[in-house]
Amino acid sequence: MPTLRIDQREISVPQGTKVIEAAEKLGIMIPRFCYHPALGSLGACRMCAVKFMEGPVKGVEMSCMVEAADGMVVSTTDPEAMEFRRYVIEWLMLNHPHDCPICDAGGQCLLQDETVSGGHGLRRYQGLKRTFEDQYLGEFVQHEMNRCIHCWRCRRFYQEFAGYFDYGAMQIGNRMYFGRFAPGPLESPFAGNIIDLCPTGVLTDKPSRYKGRRWDLQRGPSLCLHCSLGCNLVGSARYREMIRVEARFHGAVNGYFICDRGRYGFAYANHPDRPRQARVGEEAAPLDQALKTAAQRLGQIRERYGPGAVAAWGSTRSSLETLGMLQWLCQDQGWRGPQFFPQASLARRVKAAVARLDTGMAVSLRDLENADFIVVAGADPVQEAPMLALALRQAARRGATVAVIDPRPVFLPLEYEHLPVSPGDIDLCLNLLSQAARSEEAATGKLEPDAARFYGLLTSTNLEDPLLQERLLALGRKLQDCLRPVIVCNTDMVRETTPARAADQARLLQADKGQAGLFYLLPGPNAYGAALLAGREEVDLLAAMEQGGVKALVVVENDPLGSCPDQERLLRALDNLELLVGLDYLPSATAARSQIFLPTTTVFEKEFSHFINQEGRLQQAVPLHQGGTPIIQVGQGSHPPRTFLDAIPGGEPRPGAGILADLAAALSGEPAPPTAGDLWDYLSGEHEGFSQLASLTASALGEGVHLLPAEAQEPAWSPEPGEKPPEPPAGQLELLLVDQTFGTEELGSYAAPLQKVEEEPHLLLHTDLAADLGLAPGEQVALLLPGGEVTVRLQTAQNMAPGVAIMPRHRRLHWQKTGDGPVWLPPENIKKLSEPL
Amino acid sequence: MEPRRNFLAAAWEGLGELVRGFATTFIHLFRRPITEAYPEYHRPLPERSRARIILTRDPDGDERCVACYLCSGVCPVSCISMQSSQREDGRRFASWFRINFARCIYCGLCEEACPTLAIQLTPHFETCQYDILTLVAEKEDLLVDHGGKNRDYNFYRHAGVTAVGGKGEHLQEAKPVNRRSNLP
Ligand code: SF4
Ligand code: SF4
Ligand code: SF4
Ligand code: SF4
Ligand code: FES
Repeated sequence: MPTLRIDQREISVPQGTKVIEAAEKLGIMIPRFCYHPALGSLGACRMCAVKFMEGPVKGVEMSCMVEAADGMVVSTTDPEAMEFRRYVIEWLMLNHPHDCPICDAGGQCLLQDETVSGGHGLRRYQGLKRTFEDQYLGEFVQHEMNRCIHCWRCRRFYQEFAGYFDYGAMQIGNRMYFGRFAPGPLESPFAGNIIDLCPTGVLTDKPSRYKGRRWDLQRGPSLCLHCSLGCNLVGSARYREMIRVEARFHGAVNGYFICDRGRYGFAYANHPDRPRQARVGEEAAPLDQALKTAAQRLGQIRERYGPGAVAAWGSTRSSLETLGMLQWLCQDQGWRGPQFFPQASLARRVKAAVARLDTGMAVSLRDLENADFIVVAGADPVQEAPMLALALRQAARRGATVAVIDPRPVFLPLEYEHLPVSPGDIDLCLNLLSQAARSEEAATGKLEPDAARFYGLLTSTNLEDPLLQERLLALGRKLQDCLRPVIVCNTDMVRETTPARAADQARLLQADKGQAGLFYLLPGPNAYGAALLAGREEVDLLAAMEQGGVKALVVVENDPLGSCPDQERLLRALDNLELLVGLDYLPSATAARSQIFLPTTTVFEKEFSHFINQEGRLQQAVPLHQGGTPIIQVGQGSHPPRTFLDAIPGGEPRPGAGILADLAAALSGEPAPPTAGDLWDYLSGEHEGFSQLASLTASALGEGVHLLPAEAQEPAWSPEPGEKPPEPPAGQLELLLVDQTFGTEELGSYAAPLQKVEEEPHLLLHTDLAADLGLAPGEQVALLLPGGEVTVRLQTAQNMAPGVAIMPRHRRLHWQKTGDGPVWLPPENIKKLSEPL
Repeated sequence: MEPRRNFLAAAWEGLGELVRGFATTFIHLFRRPITEAYPEYHRPLPERSRARIILTRDPDGDERCVACYLCSGVCPVSCISMQSSQREDGRRFASWFRINFARCIYCGLCEEACPTLAIQLTPHFETCQYDILTLVAEKEDLLVDHGGKNRDYNFYRHAGVTAVGGKGEHLQEAKPVNRRSNLP
């Protein structure tokens, strides 16, 4: 621990800390451009010069390049250092254009700040300024290369940190150019981060271009709801419009970055068709009145048919407040439900996963970066939870082995081993891997009895493909020497047994190596909370509705018509209803179909909300503004109407939890429902997973709170690990419904910027299989599913499992025709429609 | 303790003041009046006096304002609001621009902040209205067809962005770097 003095203050820092970081710990921000905590030091900009008075280094040096050492005395305010920095900023400004007024970085520009703080006020240089041609870099990043100061941050992030190579540096010296070889959209789904990183206005945010200056924005800490990782954001709103989202630092979750889905998905909150008014039948009505009507009609149905005739259906994108209140309401009124997942099998998988997490097993994204062997089972990180891919890359950069066991043609921006096996074989692969990871003699030697018994139960069936088998065993041998393995497992298209098997194997590794991690991906930003609330008993609303037992359905921030894979059955079930009450902030099909509709707010509006991410971390989102129809929509692009109103236009929506509380009060005639504070007490009584909530202090919410139990709720070991999950009948294909980075995720599919970049939906088949069927990529095919036909374009791939057909749950595809559970499909069900375009 | 003043002397002094006052008033009765009969007569004000605000145009006749939000940011009473957008030709402009003259204190800070010389205060001070809403001026009320106090400055000629003029065609600019050549 070297101890040094910076500006007369002493500090001890860990070995290897740079002087610039040590100063930051003291609260001294040394000017910098190229240094960034996530990207490290480069020494390119010369802005961080300080004077070393005593110690091993003497004179003016770059504080980002010098490691703190004992006996150093550093001055950041020495006249010599200040003069040096004044010259540096003047050099950096030589070629800078005179265009701050039309630059979106103005007001949030490091170059502006440091020009002013460096004391460079008037341009002395009278020569010609260097210029560059700009490039089209896609729909997210605006390029204005004249403003570049050659700090290399963009390139270092894009290539080194994120692992994509279509953007980089060209040319030499003063003519250095940062861009692509040819203009075109940036390929990386993390490209938006270079906007945050660029210290000047070369790379600015395109969707929010010219929308407002930083000082005019209503900003606040928020959360990303576009997958289960729960990345931290700063949201910005202006004139009732959500303008922009940037990454917010969280050491354990997302670090300094977010993915483009999280960065541009927020635009659903501005959707022009967003329902902002309550509705009874076809008529718009004030929210209070609609609420009263809803209570009245629900009360009538309850009286006529009994409490079980009313059911509630929520989703995993609601805040914990709303989920909890819905649960409370159902219990209080004796309603059926709530159900939180679109299908029963998914609920079982998520519950199985959540029940197996505890403080000893769960790892955060940051822990994952420090793992040395990572098995990814049934997950395609870039498509499903993009920041996971970035964490995997950091692990790989530190030397970790990454193995992906997944039927899809998984792409990761790092070196990895992909085993394309069918979902039914994932369990087997995990078993084989852990068997291979232990040498014969050590197999059960030092394991504790439980683990040893479990190990003994593992059967040794081989994979059909000997090549894959060989690669798997080679990976297993590598795993033998690893010390910090982690298993990543998704809950989406895997078999019902897989989440449990992944936990078993992680536990086995832990028993063996003393340390191992388990990392699940869950469907939705609050799937963890929903799974805890869903408890052990199973609710199958669809079946109950079909049998006619349910007469009224309350759908809360949920769109079954979009997410339920069995559309035909759902429509039949909805027809049996007498009343459909919808609460939502999206212009969804279900919202449109509701007889009574009550508008709710998004995570950005009005009240605080909480979400639990996939590792059990409770995090808080702060409201940025009061909501209402954006002025740009009210004024239709021109100035706001010249009228005085005493209410915000379109400002009626309220948080789901509040509406449900009022509904409960109207139903029971007394204001009994738990208020915000009591809700935590209620929840902590509801499930031991929430027990920490009762003693929560508000201040604990900055970093989030781990709600994990010390001991997982489920028995550690599956009783029959050798049991093989169901397989498709011989000769049949398995249809996998999967996610894409853009275009499948519910909230993001309402966001205009993401709609522009989403890929065309397509059906993916193995190249050989397609050839056997006489199909060629690019052709339109008709896919005959249990619930009807889907027309889709065909694509083929080599690096995928042979026995599967893969289709995204794309918003532009009517995929909801498959029914629950695995779908087997005779190959004849894929028919050619047209020649390739 | 102060010595008591003579009562008579004090009364005499007071009377003297009174008479002098009346005398001054009386003399003015015979002076030529200097009152200007506003509103019949409008006194010409200096060009730099600060009153009603205009948005001016550059020498090419295009709107000067680039909707940079600097005037609205600096305005101490927050009476300027606008929305910046991109025009079809790439130029940044205000799709609406509103000044609430009921709130403006004519301090001139907006004019000082404006990097394009677009917003300027004029000597026109007669802005009183009965209906307060008529004091809210929109862009069409503010935009004039001249350059105000400066007829020459054109921000886009200096800024060097392609919205107006190509790369390397603005003042003090070199031709764009050829990315594909290593020749000096
Ligand atoms: S484009 Fe921005 S981040 Fe990249 S080198 Fe230039 S100034 Fe730095
Ligand atoms: S990884 Fe998930 S949570 Fe993180 S920013 Fe992307 S979509 Fe949002
Ligand atoms: S003159 Fe002063 S008060 Fe009036 S708009 Fe300008 S800055 Fe605001
Ligand atoms: S400061 Fe000038 S250019 Fe900027 S918005 Fe105001 S009037 Fe327009
Ligand atoms: S920050 Fe140290 S040289 Fe750039």
